[in-house]
Order: sequence, then structure tokens, then C-alpha cells
Amino acid sequence: MWIRQNKLLLGKILLLLGIIFVVMSGLTAFGCVGRGTTPIGWSGVAIVDDALFLGSKGGKLVALDISTHNRLWPDISLETSKPSGGFGCAPSSATAAVIYGTPVVAGDLVYVGSYDGKVHAISSSTGVKRWVHPLEGNLKPIVGGLLVSQGKVYFGCSDGKVYALHADTGDPEWESPFQTGDKVWSTPAIDDDTLFVGSFDKKLYAIDAKDGRKRWEFEAEGAIASTPFIYNNTVYIGSFDKHLYAVNATDGSLKWRSRVEAGNWFWTSPIAYNDVIYAGCVDGKVYILDAESGHEVVSAIDLESPIYSSPVLVDNSIIIASEEGKIHSLNTDSNQIRQLASVEADTYAPLMASDGVVYIHTQNKEGLYALNAQTGVILWNLSLSSE
Amino acid sequence: MNFWDLIAIQPMTNILIALSHYLSDNFGLAIIALTIIVNLCLLPLTLKQLRSSKAMQDLQPKIAELQKKYAKDKQKLAEEQMRLYKESGMSPAGCLIPMLIQLPIWIALYQSIIRLLAITPEDFLGLSKYLYPWPIVYSTLPVGSKFLWLNLAVPDQTFLLAVFVGGAMWVQQKMVMTSNADPKQQSQNQMMLWMMPIIFAMITLSVPSGLALFWMTSSVLRVIIQYFISGWGGLVSARATKQVSRDKRYKERIAQVEEAPLEGDVLSADIVEPSPAQKEGMSYGESGDKRQDRRGSYPTRLRTTRAQPRRSKGHRHKRR
Repeated sequence: MWIRQNKLLLGKILLLLGIIFVVMSGLTAFGCVGRGTTPIGWSGVAIVDDALFLGSKGGKLVALDISTHNRLWPDISLETSKPSGGFGCAPSSATAAVIYGTPVVAGDLVYVGSYDGKVHAISSSTGVKRWVHPLEGNLKPIVGGLLVSQGKVYFGCSDGKVYALHADTGDPEWESPFQTGDKVWSTPAIDDDTLFVGSFDKKLYAIDAKDGRKRWEFEAEGAIASTPFIYNNTVYIGSFDKHLYAVNATDGSLKWRSRVEAGNWFWTSPIAYNDVIYAGCVDGKVYILDAESGHEVVSAIDLESPIYSSPVLVDNSIIIASEEGKIHSLNTDSNQIRQLASVEADTYAPLMASDGVVYIHTQNKEGLYALNAQTGVILWNLSLSSE
Repeated sequence: MNFWDLIAIQPMTNILIALSHYLSDNFGLAIIALTIIVNLCLLPLTLKQLRSSKAMQDLQPKIAELQKKYAKDKQKLAEEQMRLYKESGMSPAGCLIPMLIQLPIWIALYQSIIRLLAITPEDFLGLSKYLYPWPIVYSTLPVGSKFLWLNLAVPDQTFLLAVFVGGAMWVQQKMVMTSNADPKQQSQNQMMLWMMPIIFAMITLSVPSGLALFWMTSSVLRVIIQYFISGWGGLVSARATKQVSRDKRYKERIAQVEEAPLEGDVLSADIVEPSPAQKEGMSYGESGDKRQDRRGSYPTRLRTTRAQPRRSKGHRHKRR
């Protein structure tokens, strides 16, 4: 009876529920889900002796025996707090402890920074956590890798600061962190006692590694996310402005800015070998420039797929991975490139080489591949997604 | 890159970046500016849609009449409704078609904002595939996420933006709302008036502030456009409508009292039989000032009724 009397009201309620459903579906289909708002991570591989360490997609630190491919200890979750909810667009990502930076091994500890803003030091032999920084609360997301040198752990953070911690205790080493003008996603590099780091504020900073004071700064025309490469007292760095820069490591003066303009960002770290700079670009090309002048040695080589993964030098070859998972070998003598293999999975993580073997951590179909750098034969591969 | 990305997302994304560059690297202002630009481009369609909606509302009394008349014959009702639309020179789809054309543009704008806010590193990397080779695009990225008190990439924790989004939506809804004599219909309209702003305010608490800023700007612009189409509409006429309905109810009560049979001798004794001449001038159901037998005042019983305090909930509800 009531239903018959209030047919119109019921209709309106149903209409309202329909609108809510459409709004929620719209948010899900058109803006949020499937657009990567859930962070995944792209940790590279660290190798010491027969042990291999990497951050898996689920935010776990994985330790493997290279010869047997067995776990050295159970995967360690770095999660310290539950991700928040929301309608799919909410930055639940802010608390997800996924790993973007490659773990670093020094002494008997593995150091790793997580996206939830924590730095962890874990025993490489037992997997037991030694310390975590900060103990209470979280920093902003850590996307770049860590640098461990002279008993200190250096890293940049999305809060725009560069931190230095005591490697044994995790206590802050500087009076206050070094403040830049925007997010720091670049992994720091060190030369003697000078730390070099790029920031989204378009600047490359040289910082005194002992006390965290600025020595100089150099401003590019675009943001800097790549890791600086130091070679012959020169800092080489790529920028979002589609140019490579060579900056004097002593005083921060510009040596050259690449005359050739790339088609997109320089995201990865360049490599220098025999006075030649090799830099992969998001436009899918590898730029080969003279280290002294910045002139093109040969025309850029097109891999036809963006390069997000930092290349690695093996003997006299540069091994480069494109986003679609094709692995190439660039001979530095002839500047000829050949495809070594294809892992057929998205590759964003930096490559790692040890004893003539290249290790590739793939992202969408998460796996770990060991590849012979000379022959391109895949020696073994391991699926990490089901672990 | 698929066709949709190529024709919709990529242009919008790059325009947003360029606007951000020219507006002092302020992405919040860029969102507002592009929302205004898109609204201006879509203005002819918006006007058409609003006019169609208004025409449809104007037809509502006639449609209601038809519904009453052909309550038992659905087919006839449909035929008559179609004839009415035809005679009025309007199509029921008149307000839907412009909306359907606008919808993809709004979705593109929405997606572009989400992409540029690049909440995760993966999102940020994905952005590199959408960039035009304009130098300013590369020098502007990443766009700044600070705007007023907001971090555009995360939900506003202060609730202020949610209040603004809900408020702007409420005003917009209120302006387009028409008064309805049917109390049931009126209460349903009230429910709609409040529910949508509340829902969007709640969603605002969970989505990046940049998106909520886009919603709020869109609502404010719709309010302005609506103002030029139909004035303040339901916002200012609400008070006038209340007054009119109060008078109407009051007149109905007078009529009820006048038509009610007189009770007992006491009341009969009060009645003075009017002369035939007076009878001619009488108009039962009209307001008291025409009643010569009571010297322009209200009937005694009505005065008593009027003086009664408004206690009943039902009465209060009706007066709203």
C-alpha cells in the first residue's frame, strides 16, 4: 500500500542511487582505477657475493641465493601502517610501503627506502630489522635510491629534503636535512666529500657530505629526476627540458648543454666510458655525446620504445633496456647496437650487472631475469608475482 | 596512445600545462582557467540545454493535467504528451543531446587533471607520453600542487573545500528548482536538493583537491549561466512562493469555515439574516474585507482559528 502511494518517491530514491552509482563508476572508470594511482615500485637489484636483494612489487624485500634461486630468508614486508581507503582516487598511495629505489648493501646490512617514507636497515644474513628511520611517523614518499658511503646513508625525499643518517644506528647525521625547492626523486651521487643530487626545482645541488651545507647549485631549464653521473671531475645529468648537462664538479659552472634537443625527458642516469657519454631518453633514443664538448659522436640510436631503466656497462658494452622489455647491447667501440633478448614485460627498474650477467627486474609481469651479457641467452628467470 | 587519448586527453593535458606556465606556475589557477574556457566553448550547448529544461518545466502543469486526464490510458497519455511537445516546438531529447555532447569533454578534462596531478611515480612517468614538443611544457613539469591552503594531489583535510563544493552545488540546484503545489512532490524535490550536494561533498573528502576544485568551479559557472537564463530562480522565489501558498491555504480555510454547517443555537443567534440587497454583494469564500456584515473583519470563528498557536507538526510541515 505504502509502495503504491509513494511510487514517485521510490522512483526518485532509485534515481538517486543510480546517480551515485554512475558517479562512482565514472570515478573508477575514467579517472582513478587503472591509472596507476596504486603505486607498484620499480626497485633494481643489488648483488653482494652470492646474494641478491630487490624490492618486489608488493613492497617486500626479497633476498635470493643466486646459484640456487632460493630465498635466503622469508620476504620482509616493509609495511608499517595500513593504506587508507577512499574512492579509488584518494592517495592511499601515501602510506603504501612499495620500493622504488634499489636496495644498497654495506657491511652486514641491507638498506632500503620505502614509498611510505621510511628507511630500513636489515641484516643481510638473517633478515632481521636493525633500525628504521623515522621511528615514529613517516617522512614523505621516498622514490629515489639510497647512497651509503663513509658510514652514512644519504637519500632524497618527496618533502624536498636530503637526509643523512648514521649507517649503524639510523640517527640523523646533519644538524638539519638539506632543503631544496621541490621533490627529490634523484638518487644522490658522491665524489670525495661532495654529495650531488638533483631536484624537481630544476636544480643540481652540491652538498658537503659531512655537515649538509650547500657548496653550489646549478639551475637547468627543467626538473631533474635522474641520478648524476660523475666522470673526470664533471657531473653529467639529464633534465626534463630534453637536454643533457655537463657541470663542473668543483664550482658548479656549466661546461656544456647538449646542442641536440631530445624528443622527451632524460629520466635515467647517463653512463660515461672512454670520454663518451651514453644517455637513454624517454623518446626511445640513446644519445651518444662527446664528454668534453657535448657534441654528438654519432646520431642517436632509436630503440622505438621509451627508456626508463638506467643502463649498465659490461666490459665494453652498454646494456640498455627499453620499456617494452627489449634488451640491447651497444658496442662502445663501433657504436653498433644489437638486440640481445626480449623479456616481453614492462621494464622500469635500473639494470644490474655482475660477472658478465645482467639482472633485469620487470614490473607488469613481475619477474627477475638473468641474462648473459655477451650472448643474450636468458640463464634463468624467476616469477616474483606468485611468491 | 589510443584515439581518445590523442583527440581529447593529450590536447587538454598540454593546454593545462601551458596555462599553468602562464599563470605563474599555479596549477590551481590553470584548472579554474581551463574550466572557464571549456564552459565558454560549450556555452551555446549549455544555453540550449538550460532553455530546453526550462521549457520542459513550463510544460509540467499541462503534462500533469494530461496525466490526470489519461491516468488509465497510458497509450493515449503518451500520444497526448507527444502532441503537446510537438505543439510547443520542443523535443524531450532537447536537453539530453547537448548534455551527451558535453559529457566526453568533461570526462577528458577530468582525466587530464588526474594525469597531471600524477599522484604516484608510475602516473608521473605515464605523463611523458602525452606531451607536445612545446618547450614550455617541458620546463613547467612537474606542475605545482600547492594552491591556497590546498595540496591539489591529496584530499582536503580541512573540510572547507567539501563545504564549498556542496554549497555551490546546492545553490545551483536551488536555482533550477521550481515550486510545486503538490506537497509530496515538494518534499521529494527537497530531498534531491540536499542529497546531491551532500554526496559530492562526501566524495570531495576522498578525491584529490584538484578534482574537487574543478567540480566547484563548474558549479559556480553553472550558477552564473543559470542566473543569466532565469535569474535567481528558486533561490529568491522561495520566499515569495511561501507567501503565495500561505495566502492560498488561508483562503481555502476561509472557504471551509464558510461552507461548514452552523452548529447549535448559540451560533445561529449570532447570524443576522442579510437583506436581499446585501445578499447580492456577498461573496462567500472571498476575503473578509468584502463582508459588510462583519465590517471588513474576519468571521469570529475564523479569528479564533487564526489565533490558535501552530502546534501540529503537520501544519508546520505544510507551511515550509
